[in-house]
Amino acid sequence: MLGRGLKRKLSDYEENMAGLSSAFDSSRSLPYPLKRQLVLNMCLTKLQTYKMLVEPNLHRSVLIANTVRQIQEEMRQESNQQPVNICPGIAPASHSYAGMESPGISLQLPSGVGQQESHCCDVRSVEDPIENSLLIVSDDDMSSAISSILKDLDFVEDISPPTCLVPAGDDQPKFPENTGLKLEDDRQDLKGAECVFGSFEISNSTSYLKDLAIDDIFEDIDTSMYDSDFCCPPLMPPRSPSLATEEPLKTFPSCNSSSANNIQICRTDLSELDHIMEILVGS
Amino acid sequence: FLAGFGSLMQDVLWCFSQVKGTIDTGVTESDIISTVEFNHTGELLATGDKGGRVVIFQREQESKNQPHRRGEYNVYSTFQSHEPEFDYLKSLEIEEKINKIRWLPQQNAAYFLLSTNDKTVKLWKVSERDKRPEGYNLKDEDGRLRDPSMITVLRVPVLRPMDLMVEATPRRVFANAHTYHINSISVNSDYETYMSADDLRINLWNFEITNQSFNIVDIKPANMEELTEVITAAEFHPHHCNTFVYSSSKGTIRLCDMRAAALCDRHAKFFEEPEDPSNRSFFSEIISSISDVKFSHSGRYIMTRDYLTVKVWDLNMENRPIETYQVHDYLRSKLCSLYENDCIFDKFECVWNGSDSVIMTGSYNNFFRMFDRNTKRDVTLEASRENSKPRAILKPRKVCVGGKRRKDEISVDSLDFSKKILHTAWHPSENIIAVAATNNLYIFQDKIN
Repeated sequence: MLGRGLKRKLSDYEENMAGLSSAFDSSRSLPYPLKRQLVLNMCLTKLQTYKMLVEPNLHRSVLIANTVRQIQEEMRQESNQQPVNICPGIAPASHSYAGMESPGISLQLPSGVGQQESHCCDVRSVEDPIENSLLIVSDDDMSSAISSILKDLDFVEDISPPTCLVPAGDDQPKFPENTGLKLEDDRQDLKGAECVFGSFEISNSTSYLKDLAIDDIFEDIDTSMYDSDFCCPPLMPPRSPSLATEEPLKTFPSCNSSSANNIQICRTDLSELDHIMEILVGS
Repeated sequence: FLAGFGSLMQDVLWCFSQVKGTIDTGVTESDIISTVEFNHTGELLATGDKGGRVVIFQREQESKNQPHRRGEYNVYSTFQSHEPEFDYLKSLEIEEKINKIRWLPQQNAAYFLLSTNDKTVKLWKVSERDKRPEGYNLKDEDGRLRDPSMITVLRVPVLRPMDLMVEATPRRVFANAHTYHINSISVNSDYETYMSADDLRINLWNFEITNQSFNIVDIKPANMEELTEVITAAEFHPHHCNTFVYSSSKGTIRLCDMRAAALCDRHAKFFEEPEDPSNRSFFSEIISSISDVKFSHSGRYIMTRDYLTVKVWDLNMENRPIETYQVHDYLRSKLCSLYENDCIFDKFECVWNGSDSVIMTGSYNNFFRMFDRNTKRDVTLEASRENSKPRAILKPRKVCVGGKRRKDEISVDSLDFSKKILHTAWHPSENIIAVAATNNLYIFQDKIN
């Protein structure tokens, strides 16, 4: 049941995991730390698999990340209470929370699936297949696994300032335009006075542009000057001529090729740019 | 046909009526039914599938000659609602699978429904044509233009009857408003607006306007790494057009009033049951994630479905549900295996009957369960070809948990987890149910005495 882009092959590892999870379910004698480790490994494996997908499932990722956080928190609290049982031979940079009485764990996971292979001390309980299949994961690894999967789920969004786009004419919105729309915190310092509709998303109905390779359109345009944090052009009066001419350019929105809306913004800005250049140069 | 309607569970015997779909053992993925919905009168039954198609069945008029055939459902219209798309900017394929269908109440001769995939909602008009104009002056019967110089007589075209043709046309396309996957759509009781919900946001639309939507809920954190909760389902109150609810992956339900603020980030009510410490496990949070939320027809209750239970909540009591029904508690001891094979993430839906006295939801092995809220009795039934003789009464099924297995029982380990009933629908006023079992649609009715 893995998502698109990943062909599921029945491997030794998966057979192993299926056996482990039914052991978890059926065995009452499995020690709690071992069960916890098993669940943790399954979670991290799933997150790892999702990372390889083009579009991981957000709902599942969040649920699994929460489970990892919960286990992480539990393990942290335990380690605060008792000395950490670190096996010699593990790379000193990682803290391994063995957290169990049984000595030594060795890893049998195939490469590409496990996060990290840590070879433990010489004393191994080779007879116990469950223990032999578990992976010791550091606290840092857990946090970074959660962070990276959630960061990847933060899609770049097609949001443009609606003031530039509200079409004139009959297609006016029927909703009141200024009823306390919330400005998102991370954009508050970025929006100018005109951009009131923080949460009012305008969709782009010019679908004819969807099929074009937008990157090709902008191949000739040097967009390095438009690298700015502002997404809305505050129409500022031109500054004193003593300033470098580059500065007014930086107040214009980033002309990235993310949507047709921005194409219009860029064209507007270029004409404004010409205007300002004329004033500065005095011609 | 209200006799027997809303009656107690023991009086209702469910019979097989019809099954739609192929019998092939190999299932074509695109034929898997992904949503089922009756319209407001129950005359029409719509299904959507993974291939982006919508099939609408219409109930035939009951005839005196065949009283035992209580209005069977026949195919009325089939159309391709959504096609697979490719988002070039993000290099993502957008699935054509129909996630939800919702009907609009009928206001004229045509029928309207909303269908949605992960990203785009469409309004479809389904209308009948049984007459066509004949006798044009400028073109002949085949549509070819006539030579004007050859026309000597002027005539008035007349409408002549033709074979009934049912056309489905897309009237509106509501696109580009969702960054994340749409999980719910809900038509408002004002019949002018509807909402669409994805994992992090809910948008309000006006049916007439396709290039703008109003964002009414946004739970996306400034930093995605802080994300711990997503929206799983949302629905408008059946009568109060300003009220809606949405459920979350943490097992909570929020009721919002759109009159309070434009952005409904602050809920008016917050429904959450305190956790039972004796049932705590590593998977507690995952199984608490709500997969469906439905208002009762009366608007007084909401029903939620999580992995193992169905709960009924009174809108006036936020701290716990008034009723909890165990759907398949025998799975509680199998959670690790179900997590490993991803079944724990299956999203089961739940439905009310017309009088809000019985609730129904699906399970595995093609089992589905009904709970009578008044008598507290419940029954497990199975949708299978073996039970599909015409008007055959469905025999209750039982899962044996441990110990001795009786003759007709099935043990937990024998359950087929690939046969899951996620989508069911109940006729708005009669005891007719539609149950989607992978690529087959079963229709069951209660027995006529």
